[in-house]
Amino acid sequence: MSFSSFFQNTSLVSDEASKKHVKTFELPDKCFQKRIGCVWRRGNQFTVYPRSQIVNKTTDESRNKTDDKILNIRQEVVLFTPILRKLVNEANGTYLSVQKISETSKTTDNQVDFLKLSRQYRSIIRVCIESLQEAANREKEGINKNTYLSYLTIFYSIECIWHLCEILYIDIIPGEVVLPFLLEWVRFHFPCHEQTAALLLESCEVGSEDHKDYWDTVIVMIVQGRVDVARALLKLHSAADSNEFKLIDNSLRSMPVYSVYGGISTGEFTISWKHWQAECRSKLNSKLLQDPQLELVMRLMCGERSAFECVSVKFSSWFDLVGGWVLWTAPWTRRGELSAAAAACAAFTHTRGPLEQIVRALLDGDLHQVIREVQQISDNNWFAAHLTDMLHHCGKLRILDIHQADVTSRLRDSLILEYGSLLMEHKSLWSVGLSYLCGTPEGVRRAELMLERMPVQTEAKAMRITAEAKKYGLLGVVQSVSACMSTRHLSGGAERTGGALAWGARARSGPQCSRAAHAALRAHCAGRPLPAADLLLTAGPALLVDDTLLLLGKYCDFHRLYKSREFKKAAKLLVSLITSNIAPEYFWSTLLLDTLPLLETEEPVISSEDTYDIMLCLELRSTCLSKEKADLLRLALARNLARTVLVDVGDE
Amino acid sequence: MPIDVQGTFVSQKINKVRWIPEDYMETKHFFTGSWDDDENSIKVWSFETANEDEDVEYPRQLSEYKVDGDVTEIKFTNKNVIAVSISNGDVKMLEISAYDKESPLKEVYTWNNLHNYGLEKCSCTSLDTLEGDIASIGEDGNVNILNGRRGDISQTIKGADSCSLHSVCFIKLNEVITGNIRGHMKIWDIRSSTNKPSAAFLLAGDELAATCIIHHPTQPHIVLAGSESGALALWDLRMNQFPTSLLNAHGGGVTEMQFHPENPNKLLTTSVSGEIWEWNMDMLTKKMSDDYMPVDDKTNMNVNSLMPTLHKAINTLHCDRGRTLCGADNEAIYLIKNLRY
Repeated sequence: MSFSSFFQNTSLVSDEASKKHVKTFELPDKCFQKRIGCVWRRGNQFTVYPRSQIVNKTTDESRNKTDDKILNIRQEVVLFTPILRKLVNEANGTYLSVQKISETSKTTDNQVDFLKLSRQYRSIIRVCIESLQEAANREKEGINKNTYLSYLTIFYSIECIWHLCEILYIDIIPGEVVLPFLLEWVRFHFPCHEQTAALLLESCEVGSEDHKDYWDTVIVMIVQGRVDVARALLKLHSAADSNEFKLIDNSLRSMPVYSVYGGISTGEFTISWKHWQAECRSKLNSKLLQDPQLELVMRLMCGERSAFECVSVKFSSWFDLVGGWVLWTAPWTRRGELSAAAAACAAFTHTRGPLEQIVRALLDGDLHQVIREVQQISDNNWFAAHLTDMLHHCGKLRILDIHQADVTSRLRDSLILEYGSLLMEHKSLWSVGLSYLCGTPEGVRRAELMLERMPVQTEAKAMRITAEAKKYGLLGVVQSVSACMSTRHLSGGAERTGGALAWGARARSGPQCSRAAHAALRAHCAGRPLPAADLLLTAGPALLVDDTLLLLGKYCDFHRLYKSREFKKAAKLLVSLITSNIAPEYFWSTLLLDTLPLLETEEPVISSEDTYDIMLCLELRSTCLSKEKADLLRLALARNLARTVLVDVGDE
Repeated sequence: MPIDVQGTFVSQKINKVRWIPEDYMETKHFFTGSWDDDENSIKVWSFETANEDEDVEYPRQLSEYKVDGDVTEIKFTNKNVIAVSISNGDVKMLEISAYDKESPLKEVYTWNNLHNYGLEKCSCTSLDTLEGDIASIGEDGNVNILNGRRGDISQTIKGADSCSLHSVCFIKLNEVITGNIRGHMKIWDIRSSTNKPSAAFLLAGDELAATCIIHHPTQPHIVLAGSESGALALWDLRMNQFPTSLLNAHGGGVTEMQFHPENPNKLLTTSVSGEIWEWNMDMLTKKMSDDYMPVDDKTNMNVNSLMPTLHKAINTLHCDRGRTLCGADNEAIYLIKNLRY
């Protein structure tokens, strides 16, 4: 049977399929010719295998062989590509800091810390974008380059959404007047004609209007609220000294700008701003402006809907306009009140990409919708999990189910669980996944199940798994992994008894130690030397975990004493082992026969009383020895009794 | 100058880092060995500045040598040759070109399946080198002494331990000390033909593994061992039954220890609990001779944390003058600069 595996990208689900939540894959080869079976493997993997219920006895084997394939099917996870693994690991650190701070924030207000961590997340995404870009540049062309480019789009939009989220929900905005932040967001994410502007300003030539993008640049600067740049650009026009230019410049210069620390109230500002705009409108109506472009600028400044509609074609999407729209219609807008502006701007264009929808939902303040949309991004829910967690801890998320019950923390937990379980699948990222899972009560149970099923090749890994499990208090995992290691050693034969015992002791598992000890005793009965003497002689209290192990330990000690010719001590120990009756049935013959040499020593070492005890045991268990051996032992016992009955062995 | 930490994510859990020594100048190159990944490798890196005017240096990968299993130890046998132990039971000696660090590593000698359970594979857990000799240990409990000049196995101590061995260190040319999963330490005389240790003692009573062993650079009779519990034990081998000091140090197992090459009183340790500490060992090693140390001195030991505690294990460290590298399970390497020594 041959084994093959293939990967399918299930994350890029087409629109149509996502509606039905079904995606069809075609399996290669003729898998379905026979009946097939399917079984789940660890994590998001399953195996499809042919399962013919008819036993094929025909000789036509060659044909059958070619069709028998086990297909191992798993989801392709973008996060497991080397570049994105950096993101996963780095974000994990930030995630854990968020959890730590949210612990303390129950008592204090940590908005600043949350903002810092949110920025940290964004910088992590930025770094990731940078390295993706580098990688994409390195690749000449082909599939790899395209994959990198598609990752790039994904993470660009993630950063864009996160930034806006940060502005709207996490950042501390004095007076809640969101405009400057919004303008910054637009400028940062949709730089448009920035280079042209820089170029024109640098060359600083009068008559720059000859540049083909001159007017476009001026208009864009006005729409993006970069008044200073727009004014500087207008000064470069060859007719900059004419009255109409001076008029525009004057109006732009005199525009009131709101600042919380400016000493005026919002109301006052609103009045002066409206006054200023009315002035602009009257200038516009006075038909002083002959140049159509200048007129357009003035119309934009007056917040005319038709003007915005007219320039909207210059932009790729409607949110480039949002900043300008708020600036030139209602600069006092607070951050909760952006919905109207979003609606107005969205009406200008008809593009409805996923990014547009998320931004719209964000501006509308519908976080539930945002999260729903964000889950559609094919980044394996990295973004959804981290964003939801962040918003949840900031206390900005409140999601109700159909019964109006608060399910925010459940939503957050389920996203975190999903993300954590995904990482647990990876051979190296399991520890990262674990730190996500163990942050939620249900996750701890899940982590327990998944940790127990981790493939363990080396003891180093086993030790690391148990260390991690201990960290989260999963003592069951420590036991089961150790017991598993112990069993593995045990199945390796009698030479590996030491390993089996060491891991059995780590598991603190009586049955496990008992099995290992039995194996060692049986091997000894079969004529092998006692294994693991070094361990047994130094084990100390660990021996007490099981009776058989204790017997093995003491028996080993007996051998040591005997070898070092301390016969009296050895005899005492052996007698106590015999009389305590803890030896398993098969070991009695060995124990009893071990008394023989001690009974025959020059100086008697077994007292008469002990001899009686051995005699009793021998008669009770005479079946375990052959008649010949039993008689031999009886004779030796009788002789020893004869020696000691008058002068007994003294205690030392 | 304050201590400056700079981390780089490398998409591999790093189990070992080693600076590549350079004559007469500060080295820029280093090795990393990864573990616990689908595909593990030994990589050569170089610190390079992205722009001329920038001060920050970032590591750039120069070459990669793939291995089949986890890299469990990297030690130098001479300036350009490293001995590497791998979890599939192999030991390899690899050479890096002195002139062109970018050229791929060259295999000098390979001992395939040096450690094994018969046909079954078994991890080679660690090795130590001394003047071209290599002592390797494995989960099978065997110690192999390899001759790195001729490329043969000069001696094998079969069944040196009934459990798996996890740490090894050369004390003298003819003596190695090993530590097993239960913290049982044994000293072996390589010349003796009997498979009996010349001395044996326990690290602590808690039956936890001895994860690393080193000896003091100037007083070789002083041996330190790190335990899986995070404790640090110190022996004077002239009277070795009990550790002279047993310090409960880290919150998790000690992963690697190194005495600073320029200052033998400075010890650096890393741990599974994500800590990297710097110890001032003056007290401990000086007072050794007159077996008496006032209790308050013991508690006054100088320990500094070099980095904020990581949330994942730090597996390795290596220092070269004022610069220390460490590698961690969060798939990052950290360069700690301006360490005073």
